[in-house]
Amino acid sequence: MIQKVLGRLAWAAFVVWATVSLTFLVNHALPSDPARMVAGAQARPEDVERIRRDLGLDQSMYVQYARFFRRLIHVGPHDVRADDSAHATCAAVLGPVHVDLGRSYQLRRPVVALIAERFPRTLLLAVAASLLQAVFGTLAGTIAASNKRTLKDHLAVLASLLGVSAPTFIIGLFLQWLVAYRLRLLPLDGYGETLAEHLACLVLPALTLGIFGAAYYTRLVRDEMIWQLGQDYVRTARAKGLSHLAVVVRHALRNAVAPIVTVLGLELGTLIGGAIVTEAIFRWPGLGSLSVNAMLDRDGPVIMGSVIVTSVSVVVMTIAVDLAYGFLDPRTLR
Amino acid sequence: MTVASFGDIRAIDPANVGDGLVPQILEALFAGLIDYDHDGNIVADLAERWITGDDGKTFRFFLRHGVRFHDGEELSADDVKRSVERALHPSAPNPYASYFEPIVGYEDFVAGKANELEGVQAEGRYVVTFRLKNPDVTFLPTLAMPVLRPVCKSAGHRYTDTWQPCGAGPFKLEPKGWEHGRQVTVVRHDGYFKPGLPYLDGVRFLFRVNQTSQRFRFTSGELDILADFLAPDLVKFQADPRWKPFGAYHAEHQIAGEAMNTEMAPFDNVEVRRAVAAAIDREQIRLVRAANLRVADQPVPPDVAGHDDSLRGQRFDYEAALEHMKRAGYPYDPVTKTGGYPHVIPYVVYKQGLAEFTAQVLAQQLARIGLRIEIRVVNYPTFLAIRGRRGQSAFGPGSWTQDYPEAQSFLEPLFHSKSIAGEDSNNWSYYKNLRLDALLDQAKRELDDRKRKAIYKEAQQIIIDDAPWAFTYYYRGYTQWQPYVRNYRVHPMWTHEMSRVWLDRAERPGGAR
Repeated sequence: MIQKVLGRLAWAAFVVWATVSLTFLVNHALPSDPARMVAGAQARPEDVERIRRDLGLDQSMYVQYARFFRRLIHVGPHDVRADDSAHATCAAVLGPVHVDLGRSYQLRRPVVALIAERFPRTLLLAVAASLLQAVFGTLAGTIAASNKRTLKDHLAVLASLLGVSAPTFIIGLFLQWLVAYRLRLLPLDGYGETLAEHLACLVLPALTLGIFGAAYYTRLVRDEMIWQLGQDYVRTARAKGLSHLAVVVRHALRNAVAPIVTVLGLELGTLIGGAIVTEAIFRWPGLGSLSVNAMLDRDGPVIMGSVIVTSVSVVVMTIAVDLAYGFLDPRTLR
Repeated sequence: MTVASFGDIRAIDPANVGDGLVPQILEALFAGLIDYDHDGNIVADLAERWITGDDGKTFRFFLRHGVRFHDGEELSADDVKRSVERALHPSAPNPYASYFEPIVGYEDFVAGKANELEGVQAEGRYVVTFRLKNPDVTFLPTLAMPVLRPVCKSAGHRYTDTWQPCGAGPFKLEPKGWEHGRQVTVVRHDGYFKPGLPYLDGVRFLFRVNQTSQRFRFTSGELDILADFLAPDLVKFQADPRWKPFGAYHAEHQIAGEAMNTEMAPFDNVEVRRAVAAAIDREQIRLVRAANLRVADQPVPPDVAGHDDSLRGQRFDYEAALEHMKRAGYPYDPVTKTGGYPHVIPYVVYKQGLAEFTAQVLAQQLARIGLRIEIRVVNYPTFLAIRGRRGQSAFGPGSWTQDYPEAQSFLEPLFHSKSIAGEDSNNWSYYKNLRLDALLDQAKRELDDRKRKAIYKEAQQIIIDDAPWAFTYYYRGYTQWQPYVRNYRVHPMWTHEMSRVWLDRAERPGGAR
């Protein structure tokens, strides 16, 4: 078991390194100039050149690559002070071990600080949306499968079809118009100041992502449950006199849950990277809006930071799903 | 008062004015020696007056006494000099630094050869002198921009990213007044040097609010001013009698057109360029967003000094366009649809801009004279890089917004040969005309408005006839405000200038009427 976990971690480190390196190369290969994006479309060449030098973009790609990885994880003082120019953009993790993603070209703030500010908000949205997806999707899919070819089943299939077909920006704008603008039940957008306001602001974006995801889960769970309910062990359970509910929940659903957990884990990992459209509609200040703006502005350090967070989230969730299999189905540990 | 925007700002510092939105916030927080009034005139501000000497090479500014920064310190001439040097020092990410190249000693200071800027000197506590290498008509207009505005002593002598903005403007920023990516809240500066001003207790600027959300907020009374519209919403507001009295267009200070690379075929042939300029039916292009566009015929927009209605501007003339194609050696027969330029011309345009749509109209219009274009849509950073790199792009959309309301702000960067560069060129048509260069240099030194206007007229006529650009439209924004917003006028430079605005809360929001 430990060997398996260590192997997975080594593989995960390689995947993150490869992803980050590829991003670095692609970012440099693009025919665009971060210094121009900082200076503005109308800046004079001499001002663009000065800003390019100031950002260190006049160095070769190899020098920039080496500098990025040399700074990424290094040893420094326990306390990071803003006036310490050598470590002003670092975050001290585990005592003297520093993580340094550099300074945003555009926002001129340490990228670790930007990510630390945005990550909890994105995580909150991702977890809330994933829970909504999983709970409503599993419920609707299970009801549909256990009432196959009845009105309940048809309604669940129709609803999931509508949910999957409608883009998130349509769902988001509709919810914003109906719930916030017409009914005035919730804030239009934003993040709020207090915990109560955070939660109020969370509802609509989480619901937007949740509706889209729940529709997908409904179809997934329904198909999986229909297959499970046709298996011999289900017939045996029914023959033993178990109730319909017990058969569905304790037997069929438990066996159907493995693929659902797989999708849920990967989905959560992706959502942590940011729900770009939903964040934009609801002005949710998460990683999605940060990374998409960084792409539009060619803000290299923020792009690299966002990719690291996303790739680490995805590999961590993949490992978590792998390990969860062992608990859900001990046969996979053999 | 609350205003919102779809965009965002990245810094609040006169030494780092990189965003289109930030000047309105800088205007609220930082007072300058001089400023622009609501009619676009340069007026005294921190300086109660100034005198020009040495044939336009020396400017002496006499500061008001007793002006207080937000931290309570009195503003002095030393603060002005320190702020200028801080903003122009090479360590500052200032995209406008080179605009102050006319100041004596600029080169040495920027190159790090001198510790102070020789051309800016404090003479006692209340007098500051600027010395220029040559008379320069752009000096006062650029000085009135936010770049060199005095900052508190806490800003130090060199730019840092962590400084808490502090100036001598009508409003001040409180310690947690800027929530990055979300909002800036400024409150009244009680020690402001203009008695009784500002009227408002504070202003909240919201960022990254999409247009739909802005409209929802505005019609429900949560937003006091609306300036970002989806096209259908703008038409609705303008047609609604409840809102019509409370809206106004912004000054027209943006030109758009089609930039033709005069170093690349077929636009190295002036007759082809003239054919393009004559083939474009600008009225059709205007209809792409009729509420915001006006037909253009010359490079300097109507609300900028140097615009001249007596000019023989570019205009749609289909027969003339065919004649120019014939003279270029590419005759085209519109009946048989044969002839014309034999190759497809790539037209590089960026996504999500208006040009992505006007390009479709343009392609159809140019096809009628035998020019076929292939529209290549790229993202904005790529577009900027390709356009500014010599020999990369033959044809594409161009647009330019004034930095200051003077023809030089358009003509020099876009058409003077000194603006041609291998990378990051602003002269996107790589157009070189020695007569035009001489005229623009002459205009820059000419301090007499009447004589300068005549020079600009001749310069613009050369550009219109040589057609490095086919000018298409002037863009004009629109602002809607609530009926209870009083004394509001769209400012020609800063859009929102709030020092004299007040709110009459007895009046209901427009959406509730």
